[in-house]
Amino acid sequence: MAVPEIFNTIEQTALSSWLRESTSVFGFYFILLFHTFGMALVVGASAVVDLRILGIASALPLKPLKRLFAIMWVGLALNVTSGLFLLTAYPTKALTNPDFYIKLSFIGLAVFTMRRMNIQVFDDASLDEVAMIAKGKMMAAWSLAFWIGAVSAGRLLSETSKYVLYGHLWGS
Amino acid sequence: MNYAHLHLLLNHFPIIGTMVGLGLFLVSFLGKNSDLRRSSYIVFAAVALISIPAFLSGFGAQLMIKGPSVSDALLQRHQGSALLSLWFMEATGALALIGLWQSQRTSQPPHWNVTAVLLFSLLTVGLMARTGNTGGDIRHPEVRPGQTVTTADGTVTEGTIGSIIHVFEPNPEKFSEAVTFSKWWWTFMMILHFLGLIMIVGTVGLLDIRIMGFLKQFPIAPLHRFLPWAMAGLGVNILTGLLAFIGLPENYIYSGVFWLKMLSLLLLGLNAAMFYLTDIFEGVENLGPGEDAPISAKLIAASSLFLWFAVITLGRYIQPLGDTLRPGSN
Repeated sequence: MAVPEIFNTIEQTALSSWLRESTSVFGFYFILLFHTFGMALVVGASAVVDLRILGIASALPLKPLKRLFAIMWVGLALNVTSGLFLLTAYPTKALTNPDFYIKLSFIGLAVFTMRRMNIQVFDDASLDEVAMIAKGKMMAAWSLAFWIGAVSAGRLLSETSKYVLYGHLWGS
Repeated sequence: MNYAHLHLLLNHFPIIGTMVGLGLFLVSFLGKNSDLRRSSYIVFAAVALISIPAFLSGFGAQLMIKGPSVSDALLQRHQGSALLSLWFMEATGALALIGLWQSQRTSQPPHWNVTAVLLFSLLTVGLMARTGNTGGDIRHPEVRPGQTVTTADGTVTEGTIGSIIHVFEPNPEKFSEAVTFSKWWWTFMMILHFLGLIMIVGTVGLLDIRIMGFLKQFPIAPLHRFLPWAMAGLGVNILTGLLAFIGLPENYIYSGVFWLKMLSLLLLGLNAAMFYLTDIFEGVENLGPGEDAPISAKLIAASSLFLWFAVITLGRYIQPLGDTLRPGSN
């Protein structure tokens, strides 16, 4: 399958080349840093809510954990933004790598689960803690699994990519 | 200041520290002194933390002095000894922290824990003494038995105990190769390192922002019950971090930000000590929903949050700033 020409066009833009080639500490690794911060916020906050629903720290009142969803959305927004910059820097590298789509699928599933939990478990004022846990248990377990999948697929990206840039295979 | 300085500055702490810890621990059996026992556990945990930079600086010192004037066999023996004693030291520190956590309610750590700490700390003291001894042999030929005074062609002479311990000591080069043998294994370690980071920041970060005065609906005591998860994350990250360092030491020792990351971790240890070993923890432990923490606790929580994000930031920049301290680079 031919690599779409549009990836080359993106790589030729000033922004894309600057992100790749700048030696400033505010270049590529700065974006990557915010991608890591975002991950810590969205996955960290999700993990705490999931673990509480699964029975850890059971003395902690469940209802106020609703506030953590705001932190998750902030983390997600940070990662969508920083992710788009990373994609601008290396479109061919990411979009020709099957693992990239696996990562996006895991994120999609995790975010879908997170939103479902937000609405069905935490926004329903009629539920008491026991009912919240009964309803949220499966979602919490899946949420942890999806996030672990997303983080793992993310770390595997650099090991599984075929191209560095348009027309440049690794090692060529 | 160079790595040899740093190593000499740090390398006495693990040896003397474990001895002091063991001394306090053994005395605590006389008349069942639980305060003394807790103190010995705190010493073990603190020494486990400071042993990490002591070990890391040894790699730098080795690269500095390696050459025709130093015996390679003695260097290898010291490094193998350091590797073995480091794992026992970290295990002792982890067991001590588990004991401290479990003695929060009962004032006494459980029996299995006391037995395990006794066993591991005894072994660690012995192994650390050997590490110090084998390290001294490298540069002090006058202490070697029956040797003429040259450093270059020092040969390894072992007593009975030394040769028994040596069987268990890893060969440093083979150990490094084992860590880097496959890029998939390496990636797996890095995945664990990231998941550990998430566990720490998720749980400690939440506790920090609550103490700072955000999300005040939460009572503090139940939030604090997440701490073992943070400690598990820290344990995983110390293990995977040390393995990564041993696998590719040259990726780390020439990086200024790597050493700043280690400094931040030591400062986090100091921060935790100020929180738990003063009356600050008692002052916030039982705060209920809506109650405000004193300013001293808020400052410690803010420092913790800042330092953890500093650790992430510095870690992220090790790769691009990996050569800032390499001799001959700027």
